[in-house]
Amino acid sequence: MKILVADDSRVMRQIVIRTLRQAGYDDHDIVEAEDGRDAYEKVQSESPDLVLSDWNMPNMTGLECLQALRGSGSSVPFGFVTSEGSPEMREKAADAGALFLIAKPFTADTFTEHLEGVLA
Amino acid sequence: MTVPTDSGERRRAGDRPPAIAELIDEATVQEITEQAWLALVGEDEVLVPLPAPLPADTLSSWVEIVGPWTGSVVLTCGRDTALALTRALLREHAPEVLEEEDVDDAMGELANVVGGNVKAVLPGPSVLGLPETGTTPPPGREADTCRVDVLWRGEPLTVSVQSHAERENEVPL
Repeated sequence: MKILVADDSRVMRQIVIRTLRQAGYDDHDIVEAEDGRDAYEKVQSESPDLVLSDWNMPNMTGLECLQALRGSGSSVPFGFVTSEGSPEMREKAADAGALFLIAKPFTADTFTEHLEGVLA
Repeated sequence: MTVPTDSGERRRAGDRPPAIAELIDEATVQEITEQAWLALVGEDEVLVPLPAPLPADTLSSWVEIVGPWTGSVVLTCGRDTALALTRALLREHAPEVLEEEDVDDAMGELANVVGGNVKAVLPGPSVLGLPETGTTPPPGREADTCRVDVLWRGEPLTVSVQSHAERENEVPL
């Protein structure tokens, strides 16, 4: 299984990857993307089983990336990991086809709760 | 033809945007910061609510919130503390010599997470900007600031939710 982690912050990518390991997903391949455009391209080239993406990113936001992916016919499972979790954002995420939205700060338990069904 | 309904509400000439003290208190800012620290910096990383003077050489990171309340959430600490925070966040991935980019990234993300959660408490709809860092924090109106002083590993750090300075001269509608 392969997980694509998209965040413009290298520090936050490391924290997401560390939390994935703490949640027990330590045998998955991890691919990193530094913004939405990079994530969009890496979904095409790396065919991940799940995308975990930040929302606010330069060049292309996480939401724009998800919309572009769905527009191109990709149905890759997609979840947001973002510093905001307002009801409006959760609604926008769900409308665009996201499976979940994890608000920062998160714990390993939060990851387990949301990823259990996706990476069974 | 439909005539728009008049709600009867008027914005008086003397109306100002809400003061931050009416919207959030120090205890909430402290709690949000503590949660960010525990999750990002480490489970044993406590923040002690004690004020102490900041050193001369400081670094600030902040995110802007634009909405019914507009201002910034600013994190300020000494440069050495910023380096220690960056190492704590990167853990085994921290390089032997930290680049300025790494410190900006780590400090920016802390401000981003605290700012995102502060935004959730404030009235919406509002927009959160991308994190920025600098040696001088953006100017804020002292009278409209919610500030928390803490110690992390014995070193001072402040979190300030502050209205933008230019709003002091805002001409009301």
